Amino acid sequence: MRTRVAEPWVELPLERFVDDARVLFALLLHPSGQVMGQFGFTRAVDVMAACALAAAIHASAGQLGRELDGHPFRELYHAGRERQIFIGAVKSTREPLIFLTAFAGESSLGLVRIYFEELCGRLGESEPALETRPDGLPVELERDLHRNLAILFGRALPQSGASGPDTPTA
Amino acid sequence: MTSPFEELLASLIRHRGVLGCMVVGESDGIIVDANVQVGIQANLVAALAAALYRKARLSSEAAGLTSVNFLQLEAERGQICAAGRDGLVIVTVAEPRAQIGLIRGAMLQSVEALA
Repeated sequence: MRTRVAEPWVELPLERFVDDARVLFALLLHPSGQVMGQFGFTRAVDVMAACALAAAIHASAGQLGRELDGHPFRELYHAGRERQIFIGAVKSTREPLIFLTAFAGESSLGLVRIYFEELCGRLGESEPALETRPDGLPVELERDLHRNLAILFGRALPQSGASGPDTPTA
Repeated sequence: MTSPFEELLASLIRHRGVLGCMVVGESDGIIVDANVQVGIQANLVAALAAALYRKARLSSEAAGLTSVNFLQLEAERGQICAAGRDGLVIVTVAEPRAQIGLIRGAMLQSVEALA
């Protein structure tokens, strides 16, 4: 299994993270829920659901942090019986992206946190200049949510939202 | 605020050539308490050493050798030692000149305090 990305500049950092941290799933998304890259998911509908939930959790945790601490919580960790999830904010020149990863006994929270920091650094280095990067939060949100999913699952070409199919089927 | 491991770590760091020592959660690789010299990337060492110790323990158990008492990793510029019990691991980073025999003895003694 390999990483799939909607924006080419996230591919190498994401691949490196997955290789180093030995995680089961990884998802990089815009706070609107628009996916930018993923590893481990096989169905578009799962990516869509995970993005929606991650964006909602991140927004809720951010607001809770503001209420309790005056600042949004940056990272969130939840341990299940066998699998654990980690959600963190990735700084970007526009607005923070959200990163979600799920891991099991092959990895650990300590390793994920270390490699998450490295991922943030690599994404910062590979991020295109502000003026050349496409808008993160487009006017037609729903169309672009679907466009990125279609790119990830081979139903559209990167950066070709107008020419590719807009609505993926899971 | 003092932790229950402060004395244990202070006794280990006093050994000649020891650059740092820490008590780490075996399953999550997070530092519980640490005493390290400037320049040691404690979080990184802790996460990786705990993962290494955990895998060594699982390998040993899978091979029917029961639990790992002491793990020593020798590198060109120093050594990493780990000993654990009940989900906690003591990790020590030492220079090549360090007397590992003494450190090993102290770590195995300290492991008893983790219970």
